[in-house]
Amino acid sequence: MDKLSIQMGEESLGQKAISRRRFLSLMAASAALAGTAGCKASDKDVIVPYSKKPADVIPGIANYYASTYQEGLSAYGVLVKAREGRPIHIDGNDEHPIFKGKTSLRTQAEILGLYDPQRLRHPRISGRQSSWDEVENLILTSLRKSAKNKQPVLLLTPAVISPTRRSVIADLRKTLPGLKHVEWEPARGLSERKAAEALYGSFAVPRYRMERAKVLASFEADFLGSMEGAVEAAAGFAFNRKPATPKHLMSRFYAFESRLSLTGAKADARIRIKPSAAAQIAFAIAWALHHRHGMGLPGKLGSEVLRPFNLDAIARRHGLDWAVLSALTADLARVGRESLVLAGPALPPEAHAAVALINFMTGAEGHSVDTSHSVDAPPLAEPLDMARLSRELARGAYGAAIFCETNPSYGFVNADEFNHDLAKTPMKIFLGLQEDETARRCDVILPINHWLESWNDFETSTDLLSLQQPLVQPLYDTRQTEEILLDWAKELTESSEIETEPRQYLMARWRKEVYPAGTPASFDQFWTAAVCDGILRRQAVSRPLRRMRPEALKDAARSAASAEASTGLELLLEPDLKVWDGRYANIGWLQELPDPVSKVCWGNYLAISPEDSKKFGVSDGDSVSVADGTQNAVLPILVQPGQAEGTAFAALGYGRKGDVAEGIGTNMFPLVADDGPAPFLRLGVSISRAAGRQPLVRSQKEFSTQGRGDIVRLWSMDEYRRNAKPPKDEKELATLYGNPEWPEHKWGMAVDLSACVGCATCQISCQSENNIPVVGPEQVSRGRIMHWVRSDVYYVGPKENPELAHSLIMCQQCDDAPCEPVCPVSASVHSSDGLNEQVYNRCIGVRYCLANCPYIARRFNFFDYTSSIKDPLALAFNPEVTVRPRGVAEKCTFCVQRIRNGTQIAKDQNRPLRDGEIVPACAVACPADAIVFGDLKDPESRISKLSRSDRGFKVLEEVGTRPAVTYLAELKNPPKEVRRV
Amino acid sequence: MPVGALCIIVTILVAGFLAEPDRYAIGYEPTQPMPFSHLIHAGINHIPCEYCHTNAGRSRYATVPAFQTCLNCHHFVNSPYSKTIESLVKSDKSLEWKRIYHLPQHVFFDHRAHINAGIQCQSCHGPVQKMNVVRRVMNMRMGRCLACHRHPEPYLPPNSSIKRGPTDCTACHR
Repeated sequence: MDKLSIQMGEESLGQKAISRRRFLSLMAASAALAGTAGCKASDKDVIVPYSKKPADVIPGIANYYASTYQEGLSAYGVLVKAREGRPIHIDGNDEHPIFKGKTSLRTQAEILGLYDPQRLRHPRISGRQSSWDEVENLILTSLRKSAKNKQPVLLLTPAVISPTRRSVIADLRKTLPGLKHVEWEPARGLSERKAAEALYGSFAVPRYRMERAKVLASFEADFLGSMEGAVEAAAGFAFNRKPATPKHLMSRFYAFESRLSLTGAKADARIRIKPSAAAQIAFAIAWALHHRHGMGLPGKLGSEVLRPFNLDAIARRHGLDWAVLSALTADLARVGRESLVLAGPALPPEAHAAVALINFMTGAEGHSVDTSHSVDAPPLAEPLDMARLSRELARGAYGAAIFCETNPSYGFVNADEFNHDLAKTPMKIFLGLQEDETARRCDVILPINHWLESWNDFETSTDLLSLQQPLVQPLYDTRQTEEILLDWAKELTESSEIETEPRQYLMARWRKEVYPAGTPASFDQFWTAAVCDGILRRQAVSRPLRRMRPEALKDAARSAASAEASTGLELLLEPDLKVWDGRYANIGWLQELPDPVSKVCWGNYLAISPEDSKKFGVSDGDSVSVADGTQNAVLPILVQPGQAEGTAFAALGYGRKGDVAEGIGTNMFPLVADDGPAPFLRLGVSISRAAGRQPLVRSQKEFSTQGRGDIVRLWSMDEYRRNAKPPKDEKELATLYGNPEWPEHKWGMAVDLSACVGCATCQISCQSENNIPVVGPEQVSRGRIMHWVRSDVYYVGPKENPELAHSLIMCQQCDDAPCEPVCPVSASVHSSDGLNEQVYNRCIGVRYCLANCPYIARRFNFFDYTSSIKDPLALAFNPEVTVRPRGVAEKCTFCVQRIRNGTQIAKDQNRPLRDGEIVPACAVACPADAIVFGDLKDPESRISKLSRSDRGFKVLEEVGTRPAVTYLAELKNPPKEVRRV
Repeated sequence: MPVGALCIIVTILVAGFLAEPDRYAIGYEPTQPMPFSHLIHAGINHIPCEYCHTNAGRSRYATVPAFQTCLNCHHFVNSPYSKTIESLVKSDKSLEWKRIYHLPQHVFFDHRAHINAGIQCQSCHGPVQKMNVVRRVMNMRMGRCLACHRHPEPYLPPNSSIKRGPTDCTACHR
C-alpha cells in the first residue's frame, strides 16, 4: 500500500544477497517471534457495545448512502457502502439518470483518498501545528488589511459546478469586494469551448448520446478513456455493440488518431493520422457530405468555404486511404442523424468547428449531440490566463492568495516561475487534503474535509441536482471548504446573520431556491427524499437548438486551410486515465493499475511509433529527452504499435511529490504550451537520447497469442455470420471425472468482449471489494501484481496499425480445476455450487496451484503486503473478506462473500433467489454491462441465455478445465473498404 | 531408539498443548466489568434472548445490547445497577465486556442463519438462563461446527425442512 512498507519488506527479506550469518540471525528472530505469537493475545479480545445505539446501524450489516463526487465538470452520482459507520466501497448510484449506477474507476479509488495517511490533520502556520482560532485570526488580519489597502485577493479553485459553492463565494465577495475568483482545471483542453463560443456564442457542455449513434467517428477523442463523460459514453457505446444474433444492430466506429487509445482499440476502422491534420480531414468529410451526398450547409454558408477541402486532395496530402474516407462519408449520409462525430480536447478549435459542422449536416446536433438540458460551463482559466496571473503575482498585486483544492506549483506550465512569483504575495493560504507542492509554499495550511465528509450540491444538467452528503464525521481536525470561506465572510462583516454550518447553509439555499412553491410535501420531507436519493430531478424547459454562426465557421475553415503541414514530431498530452491531472497520484490502487492499452503501471512514458523507434534508434525503456525549445522532460520510451509515424504521446499527472507518488513518472506539464489555440498538442518537438534507461513496469509482457486460437476471439461481422454457433454444452465435453451434480446453484459468469471497452474499472472495484494489496513497482516488474481480474490485450495484424483483441481474465472456476488436485493440503477445493474455493487458513504456500493454472488467475503473497500499512488505511478493508497474510495463494472467488450473503437473505425471507440479485463487484462497476453473473442451473437466467450465445466460447477449452466463465466473441464491423488480415 | 521416539512424541504433545488456542478450552468463565446475571434476566424473569441480543436474527453478530436497551426495564425496576447504567448512557460511555466465544479472524460465522433455521441459542451456548456468570460450554473447534452441519436433526425444530448445513469451505472461510 505505502511504499515504505514495501521497501521494508524488500530490505528484510532480501533482494540483496543475504549472508549466512544474517540468514541465521533472521531465522532466530522469527523463531522468537513465533514463540510470542503463541501467547494467544488475540483470543482475549473484548466487546464494547454502544451506549446509545444509532438507529440505522446494525453491526455486520452494510448501510448504503447516496452522494456525489465532483471531478472537473463531471458530477458522478455514487452509492457508498458503509460498515459500522465507515465507508468501504464506492459504486454508482443506480437512481442517477445519466450514470445509471456506474462510476469512474477514479471515483471508486477515492476510498483510499479518504483514508490516505498523508492527509493533513491540523491547521498549520509556517510548518508548525496550530489551532483553527490562531490561523483564522492571522488570515482575517491579512484579509482586512487587503480590503483596507484596496488590494485584490486571489481565490484559485477547480471548476465550480456547485451552485452552493458559487453562492458561498458570492457571499465572501460581498464582504471582500477585491476577491478575484479564478477557476482552473490544469489538464482540461479548452478548444471545444473556444469553438463553441465562436460558433454558438456560449459553451453548453453537450451530452453525447452514444446509444443513439449507429455510425461514430472520432478525431483523437478518447471518449471511452480519459475524456470527460467516459462512464456514460462507455455504456452508450457498448449498447450498440453487443448483437444477440448476427442480424441485430452493430454500430460502426471510425477512429482517426495518432496514439493508440483505449477508444481507438475498439474501432472498426482505425486510421492513423497526425493530430494537426484532423481539422482538414474533418472539413474534407464535410466537403464530401455536401458535394457527394447533397447534405445542406447551415443557412447562408456558401459551399465555397469548403473549397480547399476536396476529399481526394486532402486524402492524398495526408497519405490516407481514400476508400475508407468515402466509406465513412457514405455511412454518415446513410444513417443521417443517427451518427456522432467527436473531436478530442487536445485538438485546435478549428477541428472542433469542423466536427460541429459535420454533426449539424447529418442532423446529429440535437439528436446524439444533446444540449437540451446542458448547463453553461463555468469560465475556466486557460494557460494564457494563468500566465497573466503569474505576472500579476510577481508584481505583488495581490494582498493575499487563497489556493483551494488546486495545485498550481505542480500543474502550472511554468511552475518554477510561478513559485518565484508567488513569493511576492504577503499572505498565501492553502486549503486542501494534502501537503502538496503548493501547500509547501504557503504560509497557512488549512486541512479540509474529504468529500465523503462534506455537504454540497452539483448542477451538471438543468433538470438534475445532485447532492453530496457526508458518510463519516471528519476523521481529523478539518473543516469543509465552504465552512472556512463562510467563516471569513461572517467575521469580516461582523454580522451573525451568515450561516456557516455547511448543511444548514445548503438547506437554507434549497428551501429558498430549489423547493418548488406549492409542493404538497413539506420542505423536510422534500429534503429527506432528495438526500436519500442523492439526486433531485427537476422540471426544466429544453434549451432551443444551438444556432451556428456561419462567420465563425468561415474563420475556422480559413485557419484550417492555411495550416501548413507540420514537419517535426507532434506531441499529444492528455490527462492520465488513472491519476488524471495528478490529483490521484497518492492513491496506490491507481498507480498500480496497468494502463489498459500499454499495460504500463507506476509511471508514464513517451509512446512513439515502431517506425520512429527505428529512426531514432531507441527501444522500450530507453530514456529520452523531449524538448520544445524552452522546456524539456526526460522519460522512458514505449514503442507503441499503432502509434502514428511522426507523433508521440505522453500522459500528464505524473512526477508528483508525496508518499506514494514520489519519484513515479515525469511531470509533463512543463511541455504544455502557455499560449496558442491548442496547448496540449505540441508541434515540432524534438527528442534526443538521454543517459541511462528507465525500464518500464508492465503487467503484461507478451502481446501475441502465438497462434493459439481460443485465448481471444476477434470476429468481423462476416465471420460472425459464418461461424455463429453456441459453445459445446458441458456434458458434451470429454472428461475423466464424470459430470458433477450441483444440488442448488451453479454459479457462472459471462463476459461480452464486444461490449467490454477495456477500461479497467472492474479491476479497481475488485481491489476495493476484496482487500487486494498494492505491491509496488519492483514487485510488479517481477510479475507479482495481485489483481484478481486483469484485462489482457493482444495485437492482431501489422505492427504499424494492429487491431486489438481484448480479454478479461479472472479465475474461471473450472469444474475440473487443475489447481485442485495439486494442492497438498486441500486448500483449493470445489464447492457444491461450482466455485473453486481457496481456503487461506489452510494454504501453506507451495504455489503448485499457481504453476498448474493455465489462466494465470492465481496470485501469491510473496511478502506481507498489508500488515505494515500506515494508519488509517486499514479502515478501507472490507470486513467480509480475509486480509491474506504472507505465503498464501489467492484468487477471484466470484465475490463469494456477496453470494453467501445474498443466498442467506433469500433464505431468511423464505423465497427463491432472484436472477441478478447477487452481483460481484466487477459486474456492478462495469460501465458497459459486459460482465454478467448468475445461476446456470436456472435455464431462464440471463447468464444461462448468454452462455448459450452463438458467439460464446471458453478460453482454452481444449485443456479440458471446463470453466464456468463464458466469453462472447469481440466483434468488429469494418466497412468493406478496410481489409482485415 | 525408543527413547528418541518417546522424546519426539512428548515434545509434540507438550508443544501442541502449549500452543493450543484458548478458544478450545471449555469452562472459560471470566469476571465481567459488571456482574450481569443471565440467571436473573433470562432465567427468573424469562426475558427472551433476542430481546437484548436483537441482531442475532438479522446480522452475523448477535451483539451485546446497548446500555440504552437496559434502561427499557432498569428505568423502572429497583436494582443496585440502575444508577450506574443511567450514568453510562448519560455520559455516552461504554464498558469492555470479555468475549467468551472467540472465533479466529478467518471464520465468518453468521448468527442469523442459525437463528432463522430455528436453532436454540442454548444448542451452542449451553443453558445460559441457568448461569449466574456465563461460562463457555462449547470448544470452538471446526469439528464441532461440522458435526452439527452434517447431522443437524437434534438441534432443529421438529418439522424443519433443513436436512444439512452447508459444508463448503466458503460457507465460513472467505
